[in-house]
Amino acid sequence: MAARRALKAVLVDLNGTLHIEDAAVPGAQEALKRLRGTSVMVRFVTNTTKESKKDLLERLKKLEFDISEDEIFTSLTAARNLVEQKQVRPMLLVDDRALPDFKGIQTSDPNAVVIGLAPEHFHYQMLNQAFRLLLDGAPLIAIHKARYYKRKDGLALGPGPFVTALEYATDTKATVVGKPEKTFFLEALRGTGCDPEEAVMIGDDCRDDVGGAQNVGMLGILVKTGKYRATDEEKINPPPYLTCESFPHAVDHILQHLL
Amino acid sequence: MAAWGERLAGVRGVLLDISGVLYDSGEGGGKVIAGSVEAVARLKRSGLKVRFCTNESQKSRRLLVGELRHLGFDVSESEVTAPPPATCRILKERGLRPHLLVHDDVRSEFDEIDTSNPNCVVIADAGEGFSYQNMNEAFQVLMGLENPVLMSLGMGRYYKVTSGLMLDVGGYTKALEYACGIQAEVVGKPSPEFFKSALWEMGVEARQAIMIGDDIVGDVGGAQRCGMRALQVRTGKFRPSDEHHPEVKADGHVDNLAEAVDLLLQHADK
Repeated sequence: MAARRALKAVLVDLNGTLHIEDAAVPGAQEALKRLRGTSVMVRFVTNTTKESKKDLLERLKKLEFDISEDEIFTSLTAARNLVEQKQVRPMLLVDDRALPDFKGIQTSDPNAVVIGLAPEHFHYQMLNQAFRLLLDGAPLIAIHKARYYKRKDGLALGPGPFVTALEYATDTKATVVGKPEKTFFLEALRGTGCDPEEAVMIGDDCRDDVGGAQNVGMLGILVKTGKYRATDEEKINPPPYLTCESFPHAVDHILQHLL
Repeated sequence: MAAWGERLAGVRGVLLDISGVLYDSGEGGGKVIAGSVEAVARLKRSGLKVRFCTNESQKSRRLLVGELRHLGFDVSESEVTAPPPATCRILKERGLRPHLLVHDDVRSEFDEIDTSNPNCVVIADAGEGFSYQNMNEAFQVLMGLENPVLMSLGMGRYYKVTSGLMLDVGGYTKALEYACGIQAEVVGKPSPEFFKSALWEMGVEARQAIMIGDDIVGDVGGAQRCGMRALQVRTGKFRPSDEHHPEVKADGHVDNLAEAVDLLLQHADK
């Protein structure tokens, strides 16, 4: 393992860690204030394919978290960054609510495909259009590859199956940009000027948050809120740097031991 | 590569792919690939055995043969090996009642199959029928089964119609496989059972048969794995990169079916 250096940045997951749906984790606002009282930079990172940064921010403000828009890094941001790096014009197979995060991106005469969770776009004509672009060499960028998700009326197909369909038909591989991909964490840190060895990630998803972060050299702290289930911490090897009750406990640990 | 005479020696039967070899399907009944109508006629007159071996799963054999005859081809339903009848045989043998994710034009092939209270999913080239909702229904049926069985009519990546390349059933089958963590059973090319039944119906052994198709993996690779020889035509979905495919090497490339038939009539069975 790379030598640990003084902590400079903390990445925090949103849903399940700071809040659960529309309720804040008890004491989380206070804990965030304490963290902000130190010299570390804080970034908020989340896998979302539907909610734009603006939507996320509104919810956080309602819950009285002190957060600004440029501190949020989502899988949509990661997709946008990749589109800008590659200088491509994407066909956006994403939910309409996600479109504000792609404002200003050229989408006419597309030569790339960005795919998120967008059931209303997953019909034959649209996928065939994407397929033809890919066959002509357009890169395929997937926000994430979830198999399915839970809806009120039962399980429903996620974006993963449709990404897989396009991969198979064109014999290509998608670039996945969300957690737990390495590039996601590195991109999230880019604006902070910190190395992974100077950062810690706090989240409720053992594989996607903690495992992903630790894979790039960060410390990972697993909180037992949100989607956490007993023994989740045994799912990854090496295990989480720390498993604790909730976000405020994680902040206490950082203040006492990592600064 | 060896001379054509050597490569085609001893061929007694020819399996012909349909879409992309005889014609490109599409609006208004599709379009003949130049020279193919005469090529089929010459092949049939030559004494070589001929059978049509297709993965067409969007329309019934009746509709397919009707389209071909309208374009001038000499072909009858009994000469066509296609996935739907083979699927029906398997469903009956195993007492399976399918949820059908198929195009309306092929539904008649399943008229005699019990589809109540489904215990498997059959997926075929549904075209516009591949909506999110229909895919989701098939997914939910599979997730509700203790032993999910997914039967796929072919595993093609794409095919060509007059307006361009179209997604075939393969991608959608992969989507359901990925979503449910299962593996589909494929009925159709490139499955060996399918080629074998076509050979049996033609009455020719694999080593005496040659497949002519536009799909380097499904037609050429599949036939070769059954011990047949196979030519790829440079029509239909053919792409120049197919001639340097990393895994499959055709026994020869020809510009179209007419050239293949020229060569066969010159060199086969000598």
